[in-house]
Amino acid sequence: MSLLSLGIVRGLIGQLVGTAGGMALTMLIRLMLGLPAWKEEPVWVVGLILGGIGFLIGVGAVSDWFKWMKGIETPLHHGPPADKPAWTRYFGVDYNHKVIGIQYAVTGLVMLIIGGSFAVIFRTELARSGLQFLTANQFNSFLGMHGWAALFGIFISIGGMANYLVPLMLGAEDMAFPRLNAFAYWLNVPAIVMLLGAVYFGWDAGWTVYPPLSTKGPVGFQFLFYAVFFLGMSSILGSLNLLVTIFRMRPPGMSLFRMPIFCWAIVATSLIQLTATQLIGMSFLMLSVERVLGMGFFDPAKGGTPILFQHLFWFYSHPAVYVWVLPGLGIISEILPVFSRKPLFGYRWIALSSVAIALVGFLVWGHHMFVSGYSDYLRVPFMISTMLVAVPTGVKFFSWLGTIWGGKISFPTPMLFVLGAISVFLIGGLSGPILATVPTDLHLHDSYFVVGHFHATIFGGFVFPFFAAIYYWYPKITGRMYDERLGKLHFWIMTPGFWLQSIGQMSVGVMGMRRRIADYDPALGIEPGHILITIAGFAIAFSILLMIYNLFHSADVGELAGANPWRSRSPEWQIPSPVPEHSYASPITVVGEPYDYGLAGSTYIRMAPASAGHD
Amino acid sequence: MPKSSTDKRHFIIVAALIAISTVVLDWLLRTVLPLPVQASLEAMTVDWLIGLHLLLISFLFSLVVVFMLYGLFVFRKRDGDEEDGEHFHGHTTLEIAWTVIPLLLVLVFGFIAMNALADITRSESDEVTVQVTGFQWAWRFDYPEGFSSQELVLPVNRRVRLEMTATDVIHSFWVPEFRVKQDLVPGMTTTLRFTPVEVGEYKVRCAELCGLSHWSMLAPVRVVEEAEYRQWLQEKTAGLDPALVQGESASTE
Ligand code: HEM
Ligand SMILES: [Cu+2]
Ligand SMILES: [Cu+2]
Repeated sequence: MSLLSLGIVRGLIGQLVGTAGGMALTMLIRLMLGLPAWKEEPVWVVGLILGGIGFLIGVGAVSDWFKWMKGIETPLHHGPPADKPAWTRYFGVDYNHKVIGIQYAVTGLVMLIIGGSFAVIFRTELARSGLQFLTANQFNSFLGMHGWAALFGIFISIGGMANYLVPLMLGAEDMAFPRLNAFAYWLNVPAIVMLLGAVYFGWDAGWTVYPPLSTKGPVGFQFLFYAVFFLGMSSILGSLNLLVTIFRMRPPGMSLFRMPIFCWAIVATSLIQLTATQLIGMSFLMLSVERVLGMGFFDPAKGGTPILFQHLFWFYSHPAVYVWVLPGLGIISEILPVFSRKPLFGYRWIALSSVAIALVGFLVWGHHMFVSGYSDYLRVPFMISTMLVAVPTGVKFFSWLGTIWGGKISFPTPMLFVLGAISVFLIGGLSGPILATVPTDLHLHDSYFVVGHFHATIFGGFVFPFFAAIYYWYPKITGRMYDERLGKLHFWIMTPGFWLQSIGQMSVGVMGMRRRIADYDPALGIEPGHILITIAGFAIAFSILLMIYNLFHSADVGELAGANPWRSRSPEWQIPSPVPEHSYASPITVVGEPYDYGLAGSTYIRMAPASAGHD
Repeated sequence: MPKSSTDKRHFIIVAALIAISTVVLDWLLRTVLPLPVQASLEAMTVDWLIGLHLLLISFLFSLVVVFMLYGLFVFRKRDGDEEDGEHFHGHTTLEIAWTVIPLLLVLVFGFIAMNALADITRSESDEVTVQVTGFQWAWRFDYPEGFSSQELVLPVNRRVRLEMTATDVIHSFWVPEFRVKQDLVPGMTTTLRFTPVEVGEYKVRCAELCGLSHWSMLAPVRVVEEAEYRQWLQEKTAGLDPALVQGESASTE
């Protein structure tokens, strides 16, 4: 087997060729126009775009569509490639949603680890006042990179959970559009390559890249813009696919209010992604064009305004923060009943609260701009709309309490992470209204308090639930159990570590620590706080390494899990582990409620006798 | 310990624990979130509001966490018990209650905050006005008396109005001891008002990432007695062309 038979290798070569070709083409055109051949920005921009396309062609994500254009039929291929080892299917275009789900999840984890590593580096720098081993320039680049790498990790990991779980939970064989699904996944890979290029060339305006800072400065910005553009395209296509799958491919009997609750979270998330992602694509494109062609959207000297960018950016990026947490909240609601052995309390309220959060989320972007200099009369409406988000969020918390109350609760690792998630998300959520209140935000805005706030919401709303999901579905994916002792150790290091980190960040913020500074003034009395935050950060990083070890190690030596180690009622647990190529041997019918734990004799789904199944 | 999940005794115990936890937590939060010196009138309003928030946070955190921990403990699975828990799906009255009460709370808080905001941004006739310019990576303060300064010197107990702009990228004016913050945006003028009430030395710290030396974009701020302020103005204007000097009346009008 040669290296070239791996799709990803061909893709990377394609990206290289595309980039070089695009650059050469631009230089040629410039020469023909009588301009000097080399000009950094335009040459790179065309190279980046063609490079991304080159990757997609090289990897084979568009091959079937090309064949269709030529009138060639392309039946869906099932199973591992015939002439290659089975593992190779994970490194090339494969249409099975379970393979794509794993591809997403592993890529997402890798990006989270890359993002986390940057954080560990500059966190160490911040432990003591004074610049020790980073320059201010490196610090700023690493900071922005940490942000975007982590965000890539989140978006891609969410794609992993959704792709793997949604079709299984619906008893469907696959997603509605398998080829589009693969295409959406592979868009992420050239995007990651561009993002890494962005660090190499440098960019120094944080993840929010406000102009005019971002319309000056190194060409790394362009790498970032197109990386995000490709990632955003993936979000849009992925969410479209998920919505169609959920609305069109449910089995008989599964009304919307009988879906596993995670599917509701994905509906809400996908609605945001499908409708808001365009805004960040557009705003980054405008930045790119301003840099390349000198247009003045955000340049006051040319009649533009820097604040326009902030409106466009946050109109997407605020709803985006709900994209990061709604799936995680869905995971909490999904797992809690299983280990409480009780129905999910207030199913409909939880389901609709996700949709409510998604909708209200579109009306609150201005809370990031209270001190931006926009018109004063905008402050109060944005304050009230933002506080309203607390209402549906509260409904979720109280319903989770109702789920626990009166149960028979057990505490394996996934349940611990779910409970940890609730406690951490509570810290994040409760530190929100104080930021939404304009007078108090005048002090807290752009301070480390905000850093504490959003890390708590993101860890509570995404990272902890994602880890819960990994442990919970690990036996379904691999057929083996993870090591329970290591899992618990992971939890008991990470959770207190995280509380400490959040509270520490909020504390130094209140005392006057600003966001995004390479060094700070020890006169503020914040040095002990920073040392504590750094230690907590290392503890968290170490605990995550434990998880990685656990996942690899247990895949070989873990106990065999059996079909349903958690005694769950959800469809995916009624079929063998690992899930066979065609997940369900026969179509399923829904005959009851999803979470009727404790109701004697009730079942959720019924499978037709195996003989009635397809091929 | 009562077994049934609807036994009133559970709720009495939990309520007592929540009350205790709220008090303890509120004290803890005030300890780990120490606010800087209150050097402006606004600081008092803001801190009062922060205190209100911390009390509410302590209560809500206790409400959820105490309920959760108590529930986890009381309703934990015993060894060998393979039964399921009680079977109930929800409670509409409860759901409505915990939708409507937070909604009211939001409106009340919104109202309080709105009034506080109006209070801290109010203008007065007798304001000291200074033009502030931010640029990479320093501050300049232009006084109506016709001179520029590297430090911001202000008289105590007088309302200050800063008229601010930036020449290159966005910066943000923040003196943590004053509690208020405002961006400086190229191409437009933004306004920030506050009333210093504590004589002392502080620093403006740029709060918006503005490039390489953002971290060190500081400038000294001195709040001084009125008499000292007049003297400082006089020293600053002493060497100036009298035609440019509009005199003290301009700054006090
Ligand atoms: C009760 C719900 C929430 C409220 C009221 C709230 C409020 C706020 C406010 C007012 C800010 C702006 C603070 C400032 O810059 O001065 C903010 C920042 C932020 N919030 Fe939230 N938030 C909530 C939940 C969330 C959730 C669920 C997430 C998702 C991960 C999140 C992520 C963020 C992020 C990333 C920022 C910082 C953005 C930046 O400036 O870089 N928040 N939040
Ligand atoms: Cu927001
Ligand atoms: Cu700055």
